[in-house]
This record gives sequence, C-alpha cells and structure tokens, in this order.
Amino acid sequence: MAILEAHAVSKVYETRGVATRALDRVDLTLEEGEFTVLHGPSGCGKTTLLNLLGALDDPSEGRVTLDGRDLAECSAAERSELRLHKLGFVFQAYNLIPVFTARENVEFVMELQGVPSAERKARTDAILAEVGLAELAEKRPLEMSGGQQQRVAVARAIVGRPELVLADEPTANLDSATAGQLLDLMEELNREHGVTFLFSTHDPLVIGKARRRVRLRDGRVESDGPGA
Amino acid sequence: MERARVALAQVRDALRFARATLAAAAFDRFLWRLAWRNVWRNPRRTGIVVTAVAVGIAGVILSMAINFGMVLQMVETAISTELGHVQVRARGFRDDPGLGLRLDDGGRAGAAILESLPQVEAWAPRIHSQGLLSSTRASAGVRVLAIDPPRESGITSLAGSITEGAYLDGDARRILVGEALAERLHVGVGGKLVLSASDANGDLAAEAFRVAGLFRTASLELDRTTVYLRLPEAQELLALGDAVSELVAVTERREAIPAVREALATRLVGDVEVSTWRELAPLLVYMVDSFEQMAWIVYAAVFIAMAFGIANVLLMAVFERTREIGVVRSIGMSAPRVVAAVVLESLCLTLFGLLVGFALAVGLVFSLRDGIDLTAFARGLNALGVGTTVVPIVRAQDFTTPTVVATVTAILSSLWPALRAARALPARALRHV
Repeated sequence: MAILEAHAVSKVYETRGVATRALDRVDLTLEEGEFTVLHGPSGCGKTTLLNLLGALDDPSEGRVTLDGRDLAECSAAERSELRLHKLGFVFQAYNLIPVFTARENVEFVMELQGVPSAERKARTDAILAEVGLAELAEKRPLEMSGGQQQRVAVARAIVGRPELVLADEPTANLDSATAGQLLDLMEELNREHGVTFLFSTHDPLVIGKARRRVRLRDGRVESDGPGA
Repeated sequence: MERARVALAQVRDALRFARATLAAAAFDRFLWRLAWRNVWRNPRRTGIVVTAVAVGIAGVILSMAINFGMVLQMVETAISTELGHVQVRARGFRDDPGLGLRLDDGGRAGAAILESLPQVEAWAPRIHSQGLLSSTRASAGVRVLAIDPPRESGITSLAGSITEGAYLDGDARRILVGEALAERLHVGVGGKLVLSASDANGDLAAEAFRVAGLFRTASLELDRTTVYLRLPEAQELLALGDAVSELVAVTERREAIPAVREALATRLVGDVEVSTWRELAPLLVYMVDSFEQMAWIVYAAVFIAMAFGIANVLLMAVFERTREIGVVRSIGMSAPRVVAAVVLESLCLTLFGLLVGFALAVGLVFSLRDGIDLTAFARGLNALGVGTTVVPIVRAQDFTTPTVVATVTAILSSLWPALRAARALPARALRHV
C-alpha cells in the first residue's frame, strides 16, 4: 500500500529575481515497508525532495499525498500533526536538543504526541536499549560521540511509531564503521518493525544497503530500480 | 461581506492559536523544562539580564519603600503634631480661623459624645489664635495654640518633642516655644516673652510668659511659628470665658475614623462641623495619592526598559537557535508550542530576575531598618514635615505589583521573538547555519 506519493512535483527557488529549478516534475511512490535511497550528485535535489515529502516545504508545482491526504490542502497545524504522528526525521547533523538528555530527546516526541508518562518511559527505555544506548540515557548530546548522537536521533525518529522515516544524509558525519552499525540498526528496525525508510545520500554504504534506489540528476528522476 | 468573513476567520484562528499556546504553556512540563534549561545555555547573557532585572526591581522597591516611608511620616507628623484624626469646630472655622467662631460650651457636648465612643483613644480641647511674641531683643508673629497639657499628650507628640526645659507643668504663665523660634527671638528656657493678641472683643491684650521648654518636631514650619500655652490662661487673655476653638480626637485605628466622624456629625446639634484629617489637609492627601501615581510612572519606566532588554536577548536566542527550531518543527512541534516555549523562557528569565531582585530589596530594606540619615537634606525635609531619619517601609503590594507587571512584561516582550520563531518555515530553518 502506498503511504507517500509525489505527482509531477517541481520546486523553483527564486533568489534576487533569478529562478533556479531544483526539482522538475518528479513522480515517486513509496510503499509500506520499503528501504529506499535517493541518491545522486550534490545539488541534484535530494534534500529538496525530502523536504517536500516530509511536509517541511511546499512544491512550486505538483502534489504530494501522505497517507492519502494532499499536503497542499493541509493547514500548518495539520502538517505539524502529520509530521508528529506519521513521519520521523533523521538529519545529517544529528540535531538533538542540546539541553535535553538522550532520554528526554526521545521522550519529547511522545510528550508532543500526548503519550501517557508511564508508557513514555517504558517505550523510551525499550528503544534506547534497542539502539544500544541504555547506559547513556541520562547523557546530554555533547557528552556523546557522533555515532551515539545519531543513534539517539534514530531512536527519536522511530519512537513515535511513524509510518515513514526520512533520513537526510544520516551517515555523512560518521566514520564508516559507525555508519555501518547505524545502517544495520535501521535495517533491523525496517525488517523487524516494518518501519519504512527513505534516505537521501551519496554514501555508497547506504546505497549498497537499499532495496530500492532512486537516482536523481538535475532535479529529475534518472533511474528507479531495485537495489541490494 | 467577504472581507468581514475573512477577518472573522483570522480572528478565530488567532484565538485558537492563543488558546493552544496557553494550554501548552500551562500544562506542558517538558516545555517548562526546555525553557528553564535554555535560559542557562548562555550563562553570561542570562546573568546580565537577571542582574539588570534584579537591580531594576530592587531599585524600584527600595525607592517605593523610602518614598512610602516619607509619605507615611508626613501623614504621621501632621496627625501627631496637630491634626489628630477627627476635629470638631464651629462651622466656617476652617475658612476663617478667628476667635469669632468657637465652641461656646467649651466643647462639652462634643466631649460627652467622644467619651461615649469606644473607638476614641483620646481627645483634647484647643484654642487657636494669632499674636505677636516679643523678647527683649526681637519680635515675631506667631500662631498661638492653647492646650490642656495632659489631654494634649494623648493626641500629639508635643511632650516628647521637648528638647530643653520641660513640658507645661503646674507653674502659671509658662509657654512652649520651638527651637527655631527661640533662636530667632534670642531666648532660652526661663527667658521672658510677652505675647500680645487681639481678644474676643477685638481689644488688644498682652501677657508676659516664661519659656518652660523648647521643642523640635519634624515640621520646621511648626517649630518656627507656633507657641503653646495652657488653655485657662489663653481663655483669660483672650476673654473667651470657657469657650474653645476645637476638639481634637484620635481613634484606636484609622479604620474607625469614619464611624467616629459619623457619630459626632449625627449627634452634635448647633452650628458645628466635624472633619477628618483628610478633609483638613487636602494637600497632604493629594501628596499621598500622587505617590501612588508616581509609583506607576516608575514601574512603567523600569519595565519598559526591561522589556526591550528581554526582547533583545530572546531575539538573539531565537536567531541562534533557528536551526533547532527547524528541527523541533520538523518532528511535529506545533507553532503554538514554539511560541509557548519562547514565552516560558522569557517568564523563567524575568521571574528568576524578579526573585533575585526581591531578595536584594529585602536585604537592603532590612539593612536600613533603623532608618536612613538624611540630615544633609534636613531643611527641605522638615519643611515637608519629614524628619531627618526616614525608615523605608515595604508593603505587600511592593512585591505583588512588580510580579504582575513583570509577568505581563515578560509575556509581551517575548511575543515578537516567539512569533518570529513560530513563523519560520521548517525547511528554511533547517538550512540556517
């Protein structure tokens, strides 16, 4: 079943009167349980497409539907709700809240979702154990390594039980060993919990793990086919 | 019509947004925790703002306490040196205070009522007149107050203001003179003075007195112009029989003043009028009221300056955290929650500064509990009826009013940065470096 669909999506940025077409009539459908990668050279529109699919930005043309709902017809508040309940995000620079501990960063999403306190705690303990950070639950981001922070970010992205996790260059700041471990973790979450992942990356390690590869070039889909 | 519908929808959206913001601010403990920790992300900047708020608040409270202490002292001086709480006089005496307008029964009717009222602590009769007081070396126009010394002690602090000599005792023909007047007349205790005045018949009368004592009150005006002698001697000198000019009463508590006034006004017959100290000293009442208005001007000045400081700090903080705001918006934090988070941060910052300011103010007021020596400004202060030692007096409202005003200031000054943060598009905010 398709959980996300992009129909002829284009994005044009205007800077001082100069229009730049970052995406040009892109079509993409993501099915439940996929482990898909968007790849291509820098500036090909990977992050732009991820932002549009994640209801973080509006397309200049075309339409994006998430779980059957046209994002263009959603208010800002409805988009927030969609992001909160249907999507998870993992960013290149981890982007954890620095004043919160690992536990609080993870719990925060559930707090926003209105999950009761006892359940929040149980789910946080479970997910931190699953990403191998039970011991570091009370540490703040600056007290953890990059790999550990990215694991917390993954835990934060999936703890709210989203239908889709959008990961923008999640391994870009990690060494290859740590990146490999993180990918194994996400693959396991995909396999065992059915979480759908969509990566944007030019890391061959990620591309190599993906079961579907979508290659972008100059804002267009150049190829779309099965991976590993 | 269409425009009105759009405007109505916008108002409805704004109200919904405000309600969601309030709900988040009130019930979301995560937001409070986030706000409090964000306050301490830049300790130096927070320290500067907290110090500014604390010093501002402490300054306001201290100045309010000193001003209130002065105003209270002015009122107390006026009451305890002359006015009392309630006065009974012949009608019209306030506008034409001469011997022609008097209580011919010697104040007995009023005295009987005052004796029957349990709220009345003390009362005393007096005669007011004008005269010329001469020593061997100089003369001065004076206000003559004739008193019943034991009763007057229950009304005013005159007996306690004697700095040299004695209060009016049993000896005949004794007079009390203010230090300032004695200096002008070059006379001391035991010195001889002649008091000349027009009596009730319009004839010139004169009598010699000896100075029983010198007094100094908080009112320089009183010390310079007023002399006290005993009631029977004044009645004889001024050919008044047993008439008096007024009855003065003090009540156990200020709250009892209206009841005492009402009882006197209702039960006294004849051409008399009953007045409270507020009616007798409208200038003083105006000064007390002005003090309250001045307090609001000071609050406004301090808090407007504070609002700009807080807004500036929060704008900086929001700008620095643009990317972070993008992240929390991405993970589903709603715009009202973002607004609530920034407003709560402002509240934490301001209320913490307020608490430090309160502690500072309490410490300062406590350290000044014995009073501030303002001898250097003695002449000016005495002219206002204020002594040279002013004790700061803090009231509950000195803490509650700044708390309310600071809370409102914190909310208002944070709205701009907060709305700016909430309006940031997540994708654009995430690109912020």
